[in-house]
Parts: sequence; C-alpha cells; structure tokens
Amino acid sequence: MENKSPIIEIKGLYKSFGKDKDVLKGVNIHVKKGENLVILGKSGSGKSITIKCLVRLVEADRGEIKVFGTDLSKLDNDELNVIRLRIGFLFQNGALYDSMTVRENLGFPLQRHRAEFTESQVNLAIEETLESVGLSEAIDKMPSELSGGMRKRVGLARTLILKPEILLYDEPTTGLDTITSREISELIISIQKKYKTTSIIITHDMACAKFTSNRIVILRDGLVYTEGTYETLEKSEDEWVRSFFI
Amino acid sequence: MVIEIKNTFDGIGEFVLFIFRFFKELFKPPLELREFVKQCYVIGYKSLPLVAITGFIMGLVLTLQSRPTLAEFGAESWLPGMVALSLIREIAPVITALICAGKVSSGIGAELGSMKVTEQIDAMEVSAINPFKYLVVTRILASTLMIPLLVVFADGIGILGGFVGYNIHSELNIVRYNSLVFETLGFVDIFPATIKTFFFGFFIGTIGCFMGFTASNGTESVGKAANSAVVYASLAIFIIDMLAVQLTDLIF
Amino acid sequence: MKKDVGFRWKLGMFVTAGILFFAVTIYFVGKQKNLFGSTFHLKSHFKTVSGLKIGNNVRFSGINIGTVDAIEMISDTSVMVDLIIEKSAQPFIKTDAKVGISSDGLMGEKVLVISPGTFTFKSVKDNDILTSKNAIEMEDLMLSMKKSIDNVALISDNLAQFSYKVNNGDGALSKMISDEQFSSTLQSTLVNLQNSSNEFAKFTESMNSGKGALSKLVTDEKFGKTLDSTMMNLKTGTKGLNETIDAAQNSILLKGYFKKKEKAAKQIEIKKANALKKKNTTIIKSDSTKRLLTPKDSIQ
Repeated sequence: MENKSPIIEIKGLYKSFGKDKDVLKGVNIHVKKGENLVILGKSGSGKSITIKCLVRLVEADRGEIKVFGTDLSKLDNDELNVIRLRIGFLFQNGALYDSMTVRENLGFPLQRHRAEFTESQVNLAIEETLESVGLSEAIDKMPSELSGGMRKRVGLARTLILKPEILLYDEPTTGLDTITSREISELIISIQKKYKTTSIIITHDMACAKFTSNRIVILRDGLVYTEGTYETLEKSEDEWVRSFFI
Repeated sequence: MVIEIKNTFDGIGEFVLFIFRFFKELFKPPLELREFVKQCYVIGYKSLPLVAITGFIMGLVLTLQSRPTLAEFGAESWLPGMVALSLIREIAPVITALICAGKVSSGIGAELGSMKVTEQIDAMEVSAINPFKYLVVTRILASTLMIPLLVVFADGIGILGGFVGYNIHSELNIVRYNSLVFETLGFVDIFPATIKTFFFGFFIGTIGCFMGFTASNGTESVGKAANSAVVYASLAIFIIDMLAVQLTDLIF
Repeated sequence: MKKDVGFRWKLGMFVTAGILFFAVTIYFVGKQKNLFGSTFHLKSHFKTVSGLKIGNNVRFSGINIGTVDAIEMISDTSVMVDLIIEKSAQPFIKTDAKVGISSDGLMGEKVLVISPGTFTFKSVKDNDILTSKNAIEMEDLMLSMKKSIDNVALISDNLAQFSYKVNNGDGALSKMISDEQFSSTLQSTLVNLQNSSNEFAKFTESMNSGKGALSKLVTDEKFGKTLDSTMMNLKTGTKGLNETIDAAQNSILLKGYFKKKEKAAKQIEIKKANALKKKNTTIIKSDSTKRLLTPKDSIQ
C-alpha cells in the first residue's frame, strides 16, 4: 500500500514569465514512492521549471504541489526548509561551490543541518558519501580541478550527504561523453537502491532514460503530452513521440 | 523611452527592497560568522596594499601640487595641515571608496553573478541554506565595517606620503610635521568623514551583491554584473559624498 | 579549516592596527582640544565675542592652554564665555588676569588671550570669573581706517585745487612756473643781486680794514664819541633854527612866501598820482593781448 501512495503530486501547474511566455500550462504529474520517473521533452518544454517548482526555487502561478502530502504553497520559509532537506537536487553542472574544496562542499550542508555532528563524524560521513559516488581520491581538490563527470558526482554526493528521500536530477548526463553518461546512469540506479530514494530525472538523453526509468512523462509546450514505460512509448504510433526514439 | 524609464525605476525599487531584505535578514539570529570573518579578510586585508599605495601617492602628490601656491603666500607651514585636512575630509575616503568599488564591488558582483549562473545560489537554497544570509549579509556587513578601516589606513599612509613629499623640497622632522598636522585637525574633520565611509562601505557591498545576486542566467551576465557594480557603486559614492557634505555643512 | 588559521591572524592584525590607529588619532586630536587630561574652568563676560566659537584656542603667554567650552548669552549686552584650561596653567594665572579676544593672523581663527596678572595676586580657582578686555573689532578697525581715508581724500582734493591754480592762475607763483620772460628777468635780477652783494662784500671788507672816514665811523671809538657830541651840538643848533623859522612864519612879512610853497607841493602830488593811474591801465591792456596770442602760438 505504502508503495502505491503518491509521494509527489502536481496538479494543474501553471507558470508564465511575462505576458506571452507561458512555460507551464497545467501540468499534472504524480510520483509514487520508490519510483524513478523520467521527464522527457525538448528544450523550452518546461521540464526544468517543473522540478524547480517542486522545491519552490520557482514560484508557480497557479496549481497545487504536494510533497509528502503537504501543500508547498502554504508553507512558510522554515517549514519549507524542512521539506527541502528531505529532497536532494542535482543541478546541471553540479553547482559546486567554487571557493571550497570538495571536502568543504560536502561538509557545508552538514555543518548547517547536522550541528550535533562531531568533526570525526562529519569527516566519516564525507568520506563515506564520496566513496559511494566513487570519488574518494578527489576529497581535497578544488571544483575547478575536476572534470565534468566528476563535478556531477561530487554534486550528487553533496545532495546525498543529508540522506534525502527524493532526488531530483536536472539533466544529469548533459555535456558528458557516452561512457561517462553511462557511468552516471548506473550511479543513479545504485544510489536509488542504496538509499531507497524516489527520483525524478529530467533528460533528453534516451540512453539514460532507458536505463534509469520506471516510467516516462513527455512534456510538450508546457503540457503533459503522454506518459508510459520506455517500452510502451517506444512502440507508440504518435510520430512526435517516436521522434524521441530515433 | 517610457519603458526604459519604467525599467530604471523598477530597478531602483528592486534595489530598495534588496536593502530592506538585508536589514530583515541581518537581525535574524544566526549570523554566518565564519563567512563574515572570511569576507572581512578578503575585503579588508586583501585590499590593504592597493589602498596603501594609492593613499601614499595621494598624500605625496597633493603635497607637491599644493606647495607652490602656498609658498607664494609664504604659508608653507600650512602645508601639512592642509594636506591632512583634505586627505581626511575628502580625498582618502573618496579615493579609497572608488578603489574598493573597483576591487570589492566588482569582485562581489562577479562572484555572486557566477554563482547565480552556475546555480550555486539555487543549490544553497534547496539545501535549506539561506543564500541571502550566507552570501549577501556577510559581504555587505564586512564591506560596511572594513571600508572605514581601510580609509583610516589611507588617511595615515596618505599623511605619511605628505611628509615624504614635504621633505623633497624643504626639511622638517616627523615630530614637528605631526604637530602641524594635529594642530589643524578637529573632531569636526574626523567624525563626519568617518561616518561617511560607513555609508560608502555599505553601498559598495550592497551594490556588488545586488548586481551579482540578481544577475540573469547566462555567462555574459556575469561580466555585466561586475561592470554595473563598479559603475553604480562609483556613482553612489559621489552621490553619498555630496549628501554628506551638505549634511555636514548643515550640522556643523 | 587549516586555511582559516592562515588568514585569521592577518585579519586580526589588520583590524587591530586600524582601530588602534584611529584611536591614537582621536586621542591626539582630543589632546589638542583638551577633551582628556585634568582641566579646570574659567569664565569671563564680554560685550561681544566677535565671532569666537566653541573649540577656539585659549592662549596664555602665547601657549595654547585650553579651549572655549561654551558661549552663552546672559543679557542683551553681555555674553559669558566658559573656558576649559589645563590644570598645569592654573598657578600662573592670577585673579587680576585679563581675557581678550584676538585673531590668529589676518585670516586665522579667533583666539582668546589671557594676559598675565600681577604676581602679588592669588592664583585663580575653578570657575573664577576673569575681567575682560574689549576686543578690537574688525568694524572699529574699519571705521578708523575710513576716517583716515576720508582725510586723505580731502587733502588730495585741496592739493588738486592748488595745483590747478598754480597751472592756470595769474599769481606770482604761476608766473614763476609758466612765464619765461619773468624767469629771465628773475635770473638777471638774481645776477645783479649777486654782483651787488659781491660789491657789498668788497665794501664791507674795505670798510672794516680801511682808514677812511666811513671806516673810522664804524671802527674808531674815539671818533664815534666826538661824532656823538657833534650830533648833540647839531641837535641844539637845529632846535634854535626851528624856533627862528616858526617865528618867521608867524611874521606877516614872510607869510605869502610860505603859502606859495605849500600850493606847489600839492600840485606835484596830484600829477604824480595821475601818472601812476595811466601806467596801470597800460599794463593790463598788454597782458590781455598776450593772452589772446598764446593759443595761436600753441597751434603753431
């Protein structure tokens, strides 16, 4: 039963920038616990905005967003932060803090939210998390010294260190070569198994979608165009949907 | 045209709200002390060499330039006092502030702008760390407190520069020079100028943060943020200076 | 966290040095203005303080010993000035010391000057009131300056008038300056004068040393005495003669002769006066013709 109840519910999400720029025109998405949902769409279809609305990085104009059964729009800042801590967000390029080493990047959220941790506990958590993304050797490097793939992994480690229940991936494989993309996709699966998270993955990389998805939602011009598993969508008669799979 | 004017006012309004937000966040309890100290170091200590060199040169040049005119009246002994007075009242605060507008304000603008563009600020936000508090409040506070300190250094080093400049043409020992300087100085010269520098520091920090924090996404906006930070900070310095002079005139 | 320690001491040094420097500056300026250290107060009443301000220096024997602390109006003619003075100057200021206001240079600030009293008096105490000397106001200075300038104007006016008259008038001075003929005659007169004085010199010399009658008259005492007695005789002689003439006039025989003599004398006098009148008119005529001629000369 618990597996079936939706952990994320998006109803009639509407967002526009300026007068004529309607990005989202009533998106409905729901994600069940433990599910890996892939959102597909061309650039400008509103994928990124949708998941940014989930952590209220972008305020929706209309519509209801429920995470863990709570309506986000009714929360004040402190209550929102409680929810935010249960959600991990991996940005496109990792969004590592340039002025800090990898260790400090990982330690930063810990210092804020795990004030009770001793220094050794913090170090242990950092090393453990880095190991789970396979980057133990990079612990004292600066972000500028890391490659694109490594940055994403460190970024992932940083979101994982607070042990979130939901993980949001914004284009996790963009700008990476096929081999590294594959590695990242594998990492997403292994993380999901290890930490028992629910994930939303935004991508236009079909290999990644195929590898990671339980279910796929396709957005077109701010609306959900269709949804289904990779296999069903692959066999779709719709020409526009098929264009993704070529 | 109308839209441009409207956009200008819109920008000013946004800036005013930004300042309000700063004060609101400033008085919320947990202060990011570590980051604040670090920013003090970056803004204060790291700008010291630059400020020291310009301060020294200002004192030296001011002395050399004023000497002929004063010598004409046979009032060369007024030179140290006059140089110290103009340094403390006007030159050191404004020059230091302008230097810091170039170094600190643009630095903050570029740093926060690039953080914004690479979603580091968003990343902070989603990991439930208030980026405004962590990035903006600390920087504005550091700049508000460090710029006056830098100006004090510029004052001192500038007066020393004046001493060196004075001794190029005539001879005077440092003790007599000092007493000539302090004979001319009053609290009226020191306090308004010092209060002024806090405002300089505040606006240098605030404009840098504002430009960086509100940068739009895209790499070119980083350069734009840095550039407009310098331009508007410099402009703000002159406007504040003008207001300060008028206020000082009114009160004293 | 290792990096923290690296920059922290530098920051600490920076902040400490800055604050210390500021504090030292404040201290020195404060010392200059007597905010710190032990002080005492003196008061004095003035009619006017001539723009004296709070914070102006107080001098005693040319040394800055304090500052003006407060200036208060007491009545419409009196202003009270409160001074802060260094304690160390207290024994030297006597109760009969006087306070005056003067300027520090022509454009400088006002200063209060305490002129020392006599040493027989006691030293002042805290909050004593010293008598004041009225300041030389810039206005007074200007007023007296104006008077002398007015005088100068008057003098120069007169001078102008005078010189105009000299240039254009008829007087001897003007002639002396402008008339060539006059000057040449003046010169010849002077030459004559010189000649005659030379002659006179010779004459006096010969008179002093010579043996002639005149010289004897001047130099010889004996001769003088005899001359004196001769003169006396002469006097008595003439007296007798006068008496005989009087008697003759009164005698009927000679009356007609004397009357005739009187008439002739009168006629001669009238003739002389007429001749003089004629001479005068001719001089005026010749002068006016000269004047008419001069402009033409100048044209030529």
